[in-house]
Amino acid sequence: MARRKVYTPESDDVVISLRDVSKQYTKQAAAVTGANLEVREGEFVFVTGETGSGKSTLVKIIMHELKASSGEVNVLGYDLSRIGHGKIPRFRRNLGIVFQDFRLLKDRNVYENVAFAQRIIMVPSAQMKRNVLNMLDMVGMSDKYKRKVTQLSGGEQQRVALARALVNKPLILLADEPTGNLDADTAWEIMQLIDKVNRDYGTTVLVVTHDRSIVERMHKRVIEMKQGEIISDTPAKEEDIDEEEEIFEYQDVDADDLDNYDYDD
Amino acid sequence: MRIGTFFYTIGQGFKNLFRNKGYTLASIATISACLFLFGMFFSVLTNFRHIVLRAEQGVSVTAFFHEEQGVTEEQILQLKVAIEEREEVASVEYITADEAWETFSEDYLGEYKDGFLENPLEGDDHLVIYLADVSQQSELVSYLENLDIVREVNRSETVADMLSGANRLIFYASIIIIAVLLVVSLFLISNTIASGITSHQDEITIMKYIGATDFYVRAPYVFEGLIIGVLGSVIPLALTHYVYERAIEIISGKFSMLSGLLDFLPVESVFYYLIPVSIGMGVGLGFIGSMLSVRKHLNV
Repeated sequence: MARRKVYTPESDDVVISLRDVSKQYTKQAAAVTGANLEVREGEFVFVTGETGSGKSTLVKIIMHELKASSGEVNVLGYDLSRIGHGKIPRFRRNLGIVFQDFRLLKDRNVYENVAFAQRIIMVPSAQMKRNVLNMLDMVGMSDKYKRKVTQLSGGEQQRVALARALVNKPLILLADEPTGNLDADTAWEIMQLIDKVNRDYGTTVLVVTHDRSIVERMHKRVIEMKQGEIISDTPAKEEDIDEEEEIFEYQDVDADDLDNYDYDD
Repeated sequence: MRIGTFFYTIGQGFKNLFRNKGYTLASIATISACLFLFGMFFSVLTNFRHIVLRAEQGVSVTAFFHEEQGVTEEQILQLKVAIEEREEVASVEYITADEAWETFSEDYLGEYKDGFLENPLEGDDHLVIYLADVSQQSELVSYLENLDIVREVNRSETVADMLSGANRLIFYASIIIIAVLLVVSLFLISNTIASGITSHQDEITIMKYIGATDFYVRAPYVFEGLIIGVLGSVIPLALTHYVYERAIEIISGKFSMLSGLLDFLPVESVFYYLIPVSIGMGVGLGFIGSMLSVRKHLNV
């Protein structure tokens, strides 16, 4: 299946770039403060932290559900600080989004929930049918495509949500606590699926989770947040890195160095 | 719009109608109630206006001339042509003194008219001027009074004032009542559709996350609003039609002695305007109501 691309990142392109990004809901409460982050094409990144650390806000800024109060947000070449309302749909079509509470349409069956995403980007019906069934097959739900989603277990619902997020072949998959409502085994299965998507399709993945055990088992790059700040950025464990990567600790970086950093490198 | 999107919009629009049966019925009932009130009001007003207009047509101004000073029939006929060209004038009738006496004596004197050897109305050739616009009677009268050949002008000021006052009142009352009805309906319909849409909020949010355009999200709801608007206007039209016919039947039966005065418009001539206006208002209310209701959910 050919990938649909509006923006075509070259290998190792920075696909998510945050520079000194802050988000304040009120004058007193800052959800994110001075966040600097770069995610390259094909990377798998965890964002972890305790409840209220600002990790979900960070993802909402990246998907432009929230607008940053200050700083520069650039995702897939879109400057989200200045993006017009009319350009948001085109930008979002490059993203696949998965939520903790699945957000499936309860009055429709499995197939319709996934096809819904294809309809929005106006895929012809024959091709849509092929794409939906392929994706359901990939997430292991093809035999239940006629089921109402309310008849599915939590893990199964998240598989369907994942299929919906991926069926349009997004360049970036954003998952906000995708395993938050699942037991440990099912959570691991879902993470394996997300890992497979990252490896097989080269989709850039950013997963928000507070589940330390999953993060530790996956050996991926980990961004840790605390009280709205990124306090550490730990690269993937060496055995899983394709190319050598620098260890990048924010605590050791001078603000001037960040300003001089070449984001298009 | 792609053909697939078109059919999707129609399909989803119909699905929404049936998915939220309660809200659909409430919306249709709201528009129906408002348009039924509008229809009844429109029918009464149109008939009232028709009766007033008919009364207005009977209002005339009569001009007499200085025939004793030698004003000729030719001069009067020239003036008739000039008056006929005036905007506020519907028609002008030239009545000679002989014709006037003939009519008067036949109406009021009968056989006693033979007692008059000469025409007592000699020198009273006159013009009877019927007005197209009663409110401009004064202008016409002052125009006539300023003419040298005119001796006297008779007019029915009280009737004219009352009729033009009634006409103005009907006009302003119509505008105010229609405006109030429209605002109330719009408020009710957008609230009803908004309640229906709240149950779709998840769906709209997901659509926006996936990258649906505002148009794509809005189209099924707007289509739903249009259908509600059409249904909400057809039902009260049928009801108004029935009530109108029955009302005329009852009033004509009970007040037959007033049949000369109460000249009702036939149902067709009222509905000639009421059908397009009601459907237009229903469709407009459905369209604007659904646009307003979806708008606040689009900023995701």
